[in-house]
Amino acid sequence: MASVLDPRLHTDTEVASQWRLMWWSFRRHTLAMVGLVVVIMLYLTGVFAEFLAPFDPQSASSRHVYHPPQMIHFIDSTEDGWRIKPWVQAYTLERDPFTLQTTFNLDEGNRIYLTFFGKGTPYKLMGLFPGERRFLVPENPRDRFFLFGADRLGRDMLSRTIFGTRVSMSIGLVGVTLSLMLGVLLGGISGYYGGWVDMGIQRLVEFVLSLPTIPIWLALTASLPPDWPPLTRYFAITLILSLVGWTELARVVRGRFLALRAEDFVIAARLDGCSEKRVIFRHMLPSLMSHMIASVTLAIPVMILAETALSFLGLGLLPPTISWGVLLKEAQNIRSIAQAPWLFVPGAFVLVAVLALNFLGDGLRDAADPYAQERG
Amino acid sequence: MKQTQGRLVTAVSALALSAALGAEAWAQTYDEAPQLAERVAAGELPPVEERLPAEPEVVTPIESIGTYGGQLRYGLRGSSDHNNILRMVGPQGLVRWNMDYTEVIPNVAHEFEVNEDATEFTFHLRPGMKWSDGEPFTADDVLFNMLDLVFNDEFAPTPPRYMTDGTPATVEKLDDHTIKFTFTAPYGDFLAELASPLGQHPVLYARHYCSQFMPAYNDQIDELIAANNASDWQNLYLAKCGDIEIPARWGNAERPTLDPWIISEPYTGGAVRVVMERNPYFWQVDTEGNQLPYIDTLLSPIAQDVESLILDAMGGRIDFQIRHLDAAANRPVLAENREAGGYEFVEASSVGGVNMIINLNLTHKDPELRELFNTRDFRVALSLGMDRQSIIDTALLGDGEPWQQGPFEEHPNFHEQISTQYLDYDPDEANRLLDELGFAPGADGVRQLPSGRPIKFQVDVIPTLQPEQVDMLELIEQYWAEIGVDMDVNALERTFFYERTSNSNDHDAAVWGGQASWVPGEIPQQIVPVHHDSRWGIPWSFWYNSGGERGEEPPASVKQRMELYDQARATVDPEARRALIHQIADIAAEEFEVMGVSKAVPTYGIVKTNLMNVPPAMPSSWYYPTPAPTLLTTWYWAE
Amino acid sequence: MLLTYIVKRIIWTIPFLFAVSLVSFALIQAPPGDYLTTFAATLAQSGDMVDEQRLEALRTRYGLDQPFIVQYWKWISGVLQGDFGISFEWQQPVSHLIWERMALSVCLALSTLLFTWAIAFPIGIYSAVRKYSIGDYIVTTIGFLGLALPNFLLALVLMYVGVVYFGANVGGLFSQEYQMAPWSWAKVVDLLEHIWIPVVILGTSSSAALIRIMRANLLDELNKPYVTTARAKGLSEFKLLIKYPVRLALNPFVSTIGWAFPQLISGAVITAFVLSLPTAGPLLLQALLAQDMYLAGAFILLLCTLTVVGMLVSDILLALLDPRIRYQ
Repeated sequence: MASVLDPRLHTDTEVASQWRLMWWSFRRHTLAMVGLVVVIMLYLTGVFAEFLAPFDPQSASSRHVYHPPQMIHFIDSTEDGWRIKPWVQAYTLERDPFTLQTTFNLDEGNRIYLTFFGKGTPYKLMGLFPGERRFLVPENPRDRFFLFGADRLGRDMLSRTIFGTRVSMSIGLVGVTLSLMLGVLLGGISGYYGGWVDMGIQRLVEFVLSLPTIPIWLALTASLPPDWPPLTRYFAITLILSLVGWTELARVVRGRFLALRAEDFVIAARLDGCSEKRVIFRHMLPSLMSHMIASVTLAIPVMILAETALSFLGLGLLPPTISWGVLLKEAQNIRSIAQAPWLFVPGAFVLVAVLALNFLGDGLRDAADPYAQERG
Repeated sequence: MKQTQGRLVTAVSALALSAALGAEAWAQTYDEAPQLAERVAAGELPPVEERLPAEPEVVTPIESIGTYGGQLRYGLRGSSDHNNILRMVGPQGLVRWNMDYTEVIPNVAHEFEVNEDATEFTFHLRPGMKWSDGEPFTADDVLFNMLDLVFNDEFAPTPPRYMTDGTPATVEKLDDHTIKFTFTAPYGDFLAELASPLGQHPVLYARHYCSQFMPAYNDQIDELIAANNASDWQNLYLAKCGDIEIPARWGNAERPTLDPWIISEPYTGGAVRVVMERNPYFWQVDTEGNQLPYIDTLLSPIAQDVESLILDAMGGRIDFQIRHLDAAANRPVLAENREAGGYEFVEASSVGGVNMIINLNLTHKDPELRELFNTRDFRVALSLGMDRQSIIDTALLGDGEPWQQGPFEEHPNFHEQISTQYLDYDPDEANRLLDELGFAPGADGVRQLPSGRPIKFQVDVIPTLQPEQVDMLELIEQYWAEIGVDMDVNALERTFFYERTSNSNDHDAAVWGGQASWVPGEIPQQIVPVHHDSRWGIPWSFWYNSGGERGEEPPASVKQRMELYDQARATVDPEARRALIHQIADIAAEEFEVMGVSKAVPTYGIVKTNLMNVPPAMPSSWYYPTPAPTLLTTWYWAE
Repeated sequence: MLLTYIVKRIIWTIPFLFAVSLVSFALIQAPPGDYLTTFAATLAQSGDMVDEQRLEALRTRYGLDQPFIVQYWKWISGVLQGDFGISFEWQQPVSHLIWERMALSVCLALSTLLFTWAIAFPIGIYSAVRKYSIGDYIVTTIGFLGLALPNFLLALVLMYVGVVYFGANVGGLFSQEYQMAPWSWAKVVDLLEHIWIPVVILGTSSSAALIRIMRANLLDELNKPYVTTARAKGLSEFKLLIKYPVRLALNPFVSTIGWAFPQLISGAVITAFVLSLPTAGPLLLQALLAQDMYLAGAFILLLCTLTVVGMLVSDILLALLDPRIRYQ
């Protein structure tokens, strides 16, 4: 407890804004900080995808079909001693012509040297800024290396995962923002006013909720015009996902609002003659913050996973668009489990993203909790 | 297992042989499965000699005489997989294809005659032959099928295969076991049509059972409709007796059939497995007089997902399966588990064609694109502008060979020019052709039409059909980008694809499977646009199929091929028919309308190592249909 | 007051269900084409061919060429008389196909719900009370692992491991010998032996959400002054916890019943598809993909009805649990 004995003594805590208070409180949670860093890194990865990816994610290579991941070495020992230079061991592909089983044999003595900030295939960052320097590229532009392995067309999984990060992380963010806006608005109105308004909005929520999600997805995505470009399709699918997602939030918010309405401070605010808008936005909404944040941190991965489910049905994003969902969909077969488990790397990214968002949400939640502020 | 020894006998000598053997077999007594013998002993069944026709078909097993018993497990999918059952049980029509898929031989009919100009077809049925419930099968059944159903427009429109020039055949009963089809014009392909799975109509329904569901035969039909919750008699009829290509065919255990196995646990919406038991009245015997089939039961668990079928195969819970499993991508996994699963590979070889054929829409609604696609040099440039070998190495695991379309070298219908022209990867020549056409590259490297419009189009594909099609297209997209053509892969859900490309003609271009050997009974839709899979000229196919009422009148070169195709269908003599088909192919090769990437190389299904009489390789085709003509009735389990 | 509320709700249900049926019928019809185009496309996919003339004839027979509203009326007027129509694909009355599968689905959803609560409730309380302890992190991480792994992927991996390492078939709900057997005690036992796999797969993803909600709510309550007061008055920790905060934190928990149930059935579709379970899901998915509209329509209508009942139950429970909620 902060000890404020003399009312004339102003501590930082008292004059600090709400947001500053939240930041101080937030900083104290190590895991939340870690989560924040990871989430920021993931979003930065998405933003700088072209720079970070060693190769064009679509560029295929017949000699590297199902190439296993390579270990990166930093110390190169040659006959003349050693030097610091990143390299990977080269492999050659061998395929049984009948069973079509592939094996990669160590190409002894053949090392593929890599270089940081070297020149790779030219690109346009975010489709806007042209460039050709990439974070890590092979010295010889004809060489390829696969830190995360290669897929069935010999495409670099690292590059693909990086590009998938861009799409998946943003689909979660955009989708949840839309859901949140709808859910809080309608749920709040419903819970605050009660009566006929509540009845009406509740029926709407029930209506949307009682339509099973899979047919909705199926119908809506199937009716998307097929000649829409990938970007438009991406936004359309985000919109569809959020249309289904908002109801849950609305229902929960309403439940809380109903409870809050009877709280003393709301009655007090209303008796003070505050306008409806002010009561909702200044007094009730902030105390819903914690719940909303918990829901949002859960909703982002749900969006990501929903996109995967849509892909599984062949209705979500479709190649050549790359998302974690699309990548996992490509890995969803016995062949991948048995012979190319590295194709599940995007799953690990989903996992990390989900955990990071969760810890971040926890930290924010505690920071936003008005009752927890005073605790040491 | 040794290599298949196909039965290369002509239809006539096969008849003589089977008649001779049949007579011989009649003299001896027949043997039957132990479980049937028990039922005979218990008085539930008449003795085997009474159950078999006077002249059963005598089948020579390809390896050895078998022993009775056991079950054969194969995987079904939960929806729309009824034709998988059909392929296993076999379309037991009047005639069937021989094992090599080169000749039509008698099946339910024990012999047939065709007159000189192929207008009259006479079929002799087997006296004493019975339906699976023991009722006699006679010419009246054929009449019922043809007159009451096939030619009954109230039931369904008459399929064109029973008509010439729009006039249905005349069907006459010459005696109880002889039936004659007469056409108004020569119809050489008729036997092949009857041998296809779609040509089973004449012997599909048992009159004594199915007629009760028709108002013409049953006064109380309305009560029956009500009692069965059906909407009308047609619905009731389909629910009870099924039809060639609908799941309900396998949905009623009571329906009598001529099949080797009959339904005991039906294929319905809620089913988790389908079970079929031997037909005690089946009309084939082996050369030692043992009634076929050897195997007691066909058991098919229903899997919703192909992946779980693969797991079933790996776990040894499937005895034979080609369908669903044979994608090249599954082969490494299946190969690895051969020992654990106790199976080996069985080859299903196409006789011709490609697994992906690219159809530019030559009848495009947009005049500019239509003109572009109709420019032959443009199409040649596209063909030269892709590195087929590299595409094969990447997307097909190296399993393939550059090919445009049409039957392979070994096939009598092989046509060199149409199959092998413009296969080389020659981007310089492609660029030269495009330059010559005046399509100069714009700022972004994409070539432009004279109007300044960039050359940009989409190729429609169903990603779930053959996933490697998308992979191949994505690679082609990259190759074409290098010659300044901006192609986009447009993956579509299958219904949407079908609606857009086969119906409304809204596509720029589309890909489809292109396996073809141009044999009778098969539609050569990639050399003449007469089918909804001719996605390069859908309005032309409408025009052809509606007799000029719908669609769009095709150009002379297409019209000429349509006439040649009609002539080919009328021709009996295989050589003359081939000459006509080759004339079509000559024109098609000159026009170069469609292009392929790689030969449809053999695919591999699995078969248990101790399942005998299974040929190690069989033709792969729906018209055959794989594997039925390899005679599953002779398969048996080694000790 | 509660009674008036319930009556009001039930009256509401009728036009509501009507609207739901209209929209779901429209949704089924929204994808391009109809059952017959799908049918033809599916056959073509397996290399089979279908007669075009036959398709046209069937289209007229099934009334698929009629306008939407006519088709809807035909359907809904039948449903009101208990006739769900005919499944195009199976040529059977829909009512023959759905009930056993619906029953198994409800059974699976119920088991999953119980499993989820059994996991989420204690873990949620634990991780709220022991906030930021090692234990909290461990259970949170495990919960989120379950959430982050797509169900069908988990199902597929489990099946693969089952086949390759244990030689066992993980799919299905019954062993071969019980599949067609009439219901008996032995069959129930057999069901129990199989059902835990889908339950665990489905449960792993939904319990994480509930753990978080439980934890978040409880934390809200725990920080409120009345808890401090109670603690200051010397109430035992356990009693203190159970008496008020947990009860209040249950509030949103309870409101999940309404949607969790049909959501589980709908969400189980893909998992059930991969595991080839004989539940409603795969049949619904098939019917939807095949555009077998009366069959799909019946399933969707039933799911909607379940939801409405679930909502009703959850609202009543909400009112009972939290006396502060008063309905005017």
